[in-house]
Amino acid sequence: MNAPNPQSVNIVMIEDDEGHARLIEKNIRRAGILNEIRHFTDGTTALDYLFNAEDGPQRNGPALVLLDLNLPDMSGTDILSRIKGSDGPVRRTPVVVLTTTDDKVEIQRCYDLGANVYITKPVNYESFAQAIRQLGLFLSVIQVPNIDDGR
Amino acid sequence: MARSSTLFVSPTESPIGKRLTALMSIGFLALVAAGIAAAWMTQRNQGHARWVEHTYRVENAIIDLRRLIEEGETTRRGYLLAPDVPLLRTIHLNAARALPGQLAALSALVADNALQRRNVAALNRQLAPIAQARARSIALIDAGQVEQARALFHDETASRPMVGVRRTMERMVAIERTLLDQRDRDLKKAVNAFYIMLALTGVLLLVVAAVSLAAVLTYTRDLTRSRDTLNDLNANLEAIVADRTADLTRANEEIQRFAYIVSHDLRSPLVNVMGFTAELEASTQSLTALIDRAEAEAPQLVGEEARLAVREDLPEAISFIRTSTQKMDRLINAILMLSRQGRRVLSPEPIDMVALFENIRDAMTHRLTEADTELVIEQPMPDLVSDRFSIDQILSNLVDNAVKYLKPGVPGRIVVRGRRLGARAIIEVADNGRGIDPRDHARVFDLFRRSGTQDRPGEGIGLATVRALVFRLGGHIEVSSTLGEGATFRLTLPLSLEPQDRSE
Repeated sequence: MNAPNPQSVNIVMIEDDEGHARLIEKNIRRAGILNEIRHFTDGTTALDYLFNAEDGPQRNGPALVLLDLNLPDMSGTDILSRIKGSDGPVRRTPVVVLTTTDDKVEIQRCYDLGANVYITKPVNYESFAQAIRQLGLFLSVIQVPNIDDGR
Repeated sequence: MARSSTLFVSPTESPIGKRLTALMSIGFLALVAAGIAAAWMTQRNQGHARWVEHTYRVENAIIDLRRLIEEGETTRRGYLLAPDVPLLRTIHLNAARALPGQLAALSALVADNALQRRNVAALNRQLAPIAQARARSIALIDAGQVEQARALFHDETASRPMVGVRRTMERMVAIERTLLDQRDRDLKKAVNAFYIMLALTGVLLLVVAAVSLAAVLTYTRDLTRSRDTLNDLNANLEAIVADRTADLTRANEEIQRFAYIVSHDLRSPLVNVMGFTAELEASTQSLTALIDRAEAEAPQLVGEEARLAVREDLPEAISFIRTSTQKMDRLINAILMLSRQGRRVLSPEPIDMVALFENIRDAMTHRLTEADTELVIEQPMPDLVSDRFSIDQILSNLVDNAVKYLKPGVPGRIVVRGRRLGARAIIEVADNGRGIDPRDHARVFDLFRRSGTQDRPGEGIGLATVRALVFRLGGHIEVSSTLGEGATFRLTLPLSLEPQDRSE
């Protein structure tokens, strides 16, 4: 429903854990963000959507990627490097890495690959919810680049 | 291992050493014997030479005597035949005068031989009448009574006195000859004995030399063989050690990776449990509000069960889930921490142990004062080359434990000391606290295991971390303690930690 509107930002959530996905979605909604959320549980279909889908960020409207690093078929960092390493407009899509790893080296690596934000999923739910809500605030003020500029 | 210990016995302690010493002794003894024999032989030779000389002197003396006697006789006869030749008389008188001296000389020469002495005496007896007869002849001729002298000579010749003298002298020569022969034979025997002895000594020396050579060769061969074996063993050992180390490192890395992955994957469902518990709690709040309103507005709608479920059961269940998940989170974090420490790259650097302990003491001053505890740092302490962070973690943990588990009512006293033992340092942290039951000595180092009264906060992570760190530093740790009488943790660490080229 939001797809036809080029200014509406799609949220692409790549997360294999249904529970996590549900919690993230709930908290995003609680923060008052009503943008469409496209959920993918594996890397392959997610990449296919990002690069090839009609309403995907490569061909259409701006998007924001929420990326989990532990995926069944590939590592989240692979997806990250594919997005940031491509030469299409998808390269400008902001990527928020959202994962359980708080390993410094891993975080460093994600930023090196071009991640825009890195959020650790804390076990303490309140801080998790807090983080997601802040992400929501962040989404509400974010200036997503106009795809048309890339053309 | 028994094999290697025999390889390192020094030659003097080994049977070969004893055998060689014995052989050398035999050789030396043989040489000494040969020397003594040679000396004896020389002496014998000298003695013999003296005796030979003596014999010849005796013979010469006899010959001289005989010559004098014969000369006396010849000149007397000559004088009888030619009384007008005075020279003959002079010669005769000279000979007659020299005769007693010569006889005395002979007597002196043979003084040691009873037989010869008797012969000399006989000679004396036999010569006395001859001398008298000669003196008379000369006197008669001198008086011009030549005819009378000749008659006397004629009578005298018939009794043939000279024959006896000659026989006696021949006997004397014969006796000397026999003696000389005897001595020659003795000498020959001695020489033979000497040669036999020399030959025996020579053979003995040869045998000793041969046996020694054989022994030395065998020993050398054995040595070479053991050295080769040792070299092989060493090479093998190094290979084995390298293999084992590689295996261990691989296993260790595997465990670290495993722990890391497990802890991460365990966290993921935990996020869900916690998250949905929070959702549940939020829902419970709205349910509670609903029950409250229902109770106020339509109490007949609210059953006892529903009220209990919302007011007590649900909050209780949620709180238990929370506590458990929080605990699980702490445990997972502990595993994660251990795993991370295992993946840390160690960077060895020189560490002043006294300074390090002083830092720990400074950092814990507050707690030490609060617990009425003193931390005694015994000096001197061996300095280490090791990973500072790990050493600090280990010792801080041990001191922290000592402060944590004091005996109530007793002022604490924690003593740290260190000493060198070969290429390793032994560091002890001893306290006078509550001690650890000997049954739990191995358990306390296990992850999540604790011992004694559980009246102090903790998850049972400290000592597990300590042990993991100590292992990584190539050391080991043990505890000795009796319940109620304090505990001593003994750390054995290499003085110098090999730098690692392993990267994260």
